Amino acid sequence: MKNNINIMNKIVCFSFFLLAFVSCKHHENEYHSVTDKIEAESKDYHGTSMSSEAYLSEIKTIEITEGEHTFLIPERKSQIKSYACTECHSKPLAQMKSKDLKKAHWDIKMDHANANTMNCVTCHNPDNMDDLKSLTGHAIDFNTSYNLCNQCHTKQFEDWKGGAHGKRIGGWAPPRASMTCVNCHDPHKPHFESRWPARFNTQKEKERK
Amino acid sequence: MSNNSKKWFSLNLGRKEKTSSGSCSCGKTSGGCGGHSNAHQMTDEAFNEAAINASIGEERTKDGFEQVFDVKMDRRSAFKKLTASLLIGAGAVSTSCSVISGDESKEKAQIDWEEQFKGNYKLMTDKEKEGTVDRLVRSYQLRTGKNISMSSKNAEEDVLFGYAFNISKCQGYMDCVNACVEENNQDRNSEMQYIRIHEMKDGKGFNFNEADDNYYHEVPAQGHFYMGTQCFHCDNPPCVEVCPVQATWREDDGLVVVDYDWCVGCRYCMAACPYDGRRFNWSKPEVPEAEINHNQHYLGNRMRKKGVMEKCTFCVQRSRAGKNPACVEACPTGARIFGNLLDPDSTIRWVLENKKVFRLKEDLGTEPKFWYFMD
Amino acid sequence: MKRFKVFGSLVKDSFDTITHGSKKYHLWMALLTFVMLAGMYCYSIQLEHGLSVTGMTDRVSWGLYISNFTFLVGVAAAAVMLVMPTYVLKDIDFKQAVLIGEGIAVAALIMCLAFVIADMGGPSVLWHMIPGIGVFNFPNSMLTWDVLVLNGYLFLNITIPFYILFRHYQGKEAKRSVYIPGAILSVFWAVAIHLVTAFLYQGLQARPFWNNALLGPRFLASAFAAGPALIILVLAIIRNFTEFKIQDKTIKKIAMVVTVAAQINLIMLISELFKEFYAPTHHSESAYYLFFGLDGKDALLPWIWTAIPLNVLATVLLTFHKLRNNFKVLFFCCFILFVAIWIEKGFGLIVPGFIPGPYGKIAEYMPTGIEIGVTLGIWALGAFVFTILAKTAIGIELGKLKYKKKS
Repeated sequence: MKNNINIMNKIVCFSFFLLAFVSCKHHENEYHSVTDKIEAESKDYHGTSMSSEAYLSEIKTIEITEGEHTFLIPERKSQIKSYACTECHSKPLAQMKSKDLKKAHWDIKMDHANANTMNCVTCHNPDNMDDLKSLTGHAIDFNTSYNLCNQCHTKQFEDWKGGAHGKRIGGWAPPRASMTCVNCHDPHKPHFESRWPARFNTQKEKERK
Repeated sequence: MSNNSKKWFSLNLGRKEKTSSGSCSCGKTSGGCGGHSNAHQMTDEAFNEAAINASIGEERTKDGFEQVFDVKMDRRSAFKKLTASLLIGAGAVSTSCSVISGDESKEKAQIDWEEQFKGNYKLMTDKEKEGTVDRLVRSYQLRTGKNISMSSKNAEEDVLFGYAFNISKCQGYMDCVNACVEENNQDRNSEMQYIRIHEMKDGKGFNFNEADDNYYHEVPAQGHFYMGTQCFHCDNPPCVEVCPVQATWREDDGLVVVDYDWCVGCRYCMAACPYDGRRFNWSKPEVPEAEINHNQHYLGNRMRKKGVMEKCTFCVQRSRAGKNPACVEACPTGARIFGNLLDPDSTIRWVLENKKVFRLKEDLGTEPKFWYFMD
Repeated sequence: MKRFKVFGSLVKDSFDTITHGSKKYHLWMALLTFVMLAGMYCYSIQLEHGLSVTGMTDRVSWGLYISNFTFLVGVAAAAVMLVMPTYVLKDIDFKQAVLIGEGIAVAALIMCLAFVIADMGGPSVLWHMIPGIGVFNFPNSMLTWDVLVLNGYLFLNITIPFYILFRHYQGKEAKRSVYIPGAILSVFWAVAIHLVTAFLYQGLQARPFWNNALLGPRFLASAFAAGPALIILVLAIIRNFTEFKIQDKTIKKIAMVVTVAAQINLIMLISELFKEFYAPTHHSESAYYLFFGLDGKDALLPWIWTAIPLNVLATVLLTFHKLRNNFKVLFFCCFILFVAIWIEKGFGLIVPGFIPGPYGKIAEYMPTGIEIGVTLGIWALGAFVFTILAKTAIGIELGKLKYKKKS
């Protein structure tokens, strides 16, 4: 009888040991956190076979290099309806403002900074409408209009270069293509409009109550 | 297996190919071979093979891992065959063997049968993955007459997906939610959504208790900011730990996925998720035929059934093809950033290294791969 | 071969016993059958339409089923409070009660498994959980541990009494050396089933209401109060309706067990309340919801404020020897204690774990008629199984059922 209980005790003890052993979580990852892991594993990064080039074929892009970053942005000039501007702007601006000429750009209302800071010619070059101009009067191409914005919006520019600001086009895979400023912001009215959300934000109608 | 799958009466529901035996003379004609005698013959065969598999199947000389793995599969197929033979009288096969029903319904029955007793996707070989995907595509074709494309693409080397969300940019427009629902074929009846956008009051911090995820008014509302949540694809996911059948797991590229066909619907993962990242199909999910996204992935947006879990997969059908998830693509403000965490030149890495990022409930040790940041 | 013969005759005899009885017995069984059928009908509706016919949602994803499951694991575990004294400590006072206790354990375990299956979204693929055939996520998932310990406990609680009854049926004494190891094992096992079930919840960092070191011990304490309380009530009924003799001494000893467990349970309750309300944190919100309601949502208030006073009242009454030894008071106390713990360990534990949700969302849960129907059906199933087991066991113990060699 006693023998039996002794054996039982042994078996129970043993099974507890066994249980304790198998139930210990065996952590395969030797990293302290996911950021450590990312750092370690990306040391010998060789690139992937994936590319988002196929998703970019439909739009025309140009490659730009700003600081350490080289990436694609959509080509702009071909998207502007009436480029080149000089097709109409054949005369100096003062003459074109006269009443007998057909009105153009009448719907543009400047809502960008205040009148003290900005007006049309802060960015547009009245002497050469096909280009933009910097604050110091240097010509800026329409395709690289971000150079105009970054004169004031330096912080956003830094974020944009890195990729924190500005939506990606195509996919996540290289090559990187990002929207440029004017793809999202109308330079004459750069803020986002408030509007109704695209849909209700709830799982069930009854939960709305 | 795939070339054999057309033979509706074959009961080799397992992994191994079994050539149809000579004793069944009409075995290869389609439809002519009816009658119960034949069915019984197949039963015995299936039973014998099952017995053989169960007894000597394990003794084949293979090395280490392979052997262990194969033993498991053999047992499973043995079980399937045993069940098959047990259920033969019960009519499951009588439908598939009767002369009256057409070829297509037999094929359908065969597919259903094989799908019911297939293994866990996580443990399948690439060939088996293709097999089940082919069956699902064919089954959909038989049912609706429409074609879908379904991928079984595995995780790519040197890829670890990560996500960053800019809370200064999100305006609460909800375009991401719409895109997500459409992309992922979510149930329209219950209005299932993976993404929740929380409207928070400025100056109250991240106070979810006072946040509203039910708003419907013009956005952005004065004095509020918006914060989106979805599955964070934790690197140490508690939901994966608790699943009793390993129906959910973390893929090598960091995606936490669900095998909808393996899930038993216990909802333990739902209780274990600290981020409200999982959804359950309380009833049969329905998507109008016209709205179905036909570009599917086995682990992603393929059609689900009732009683299984589902969740955000970072749109595996898109992300594994190099595209951005639907929410990222739909976001009008560029608040959502997605990319490869292992690529030092990726934008997501730049965000992590240069912005002040944080994650939700970091103290739980779940290591989400979803970061928030501000301008 | 002979054993099979005896077994066959046992099955036949027990079938005879359970199909014959008084009018009350037949009425009782008919009632249970009716409730079971109604439950099955409800379950068929649930099978067809999915779990959407229940009150559960993505916000509160476990409800009445899992609540009852949790509670019943405790009831099952409580059988050990009778097994240990009888088989291990050789306290003969418990001898009559122990078979009844094990019968309750078996019935409770069957109900547990039925509740788990009722809660499953895909019962047709449950074979995925069978080790070897499916994929068993052991040891990572506590649910797999629970499957193992519950089935193991069910096996122990069927085999030990079966062996004893089988021997008695043949007119032989059961060999101690055969059943004692099993009995000792079942003592550990009983603690394990309830601890593991507690760990199921305790291990979830996502739900602060459950993620609390006291949950496991408190499960045990409440189980060892509620389970034996049920056994006392059942013994009282059996005493009334059958010739099976159960001495007052036995019931009093079990009452002692109930009392001590209820007292410990109350101490732990106080400790828990102190932690939640003395220095409330963000994590105390579930407790606030349970006891006081949050944001005007207070569906659980009537339940918990029924449970707590009943619990306290029963514990206080039981503490006094005089009152406890009065059987009327004792039975009343056992009944209210059982109800109180059913609320507290079921509803009061599972539902607040989900409220507020991970992002502070308060969505309440209310079981639907179908859910309640299935639940009642499963309880009826448990009662049905227990009645059959008890009737056979009592028949054998009274010597009415005996193996006749040439029959």
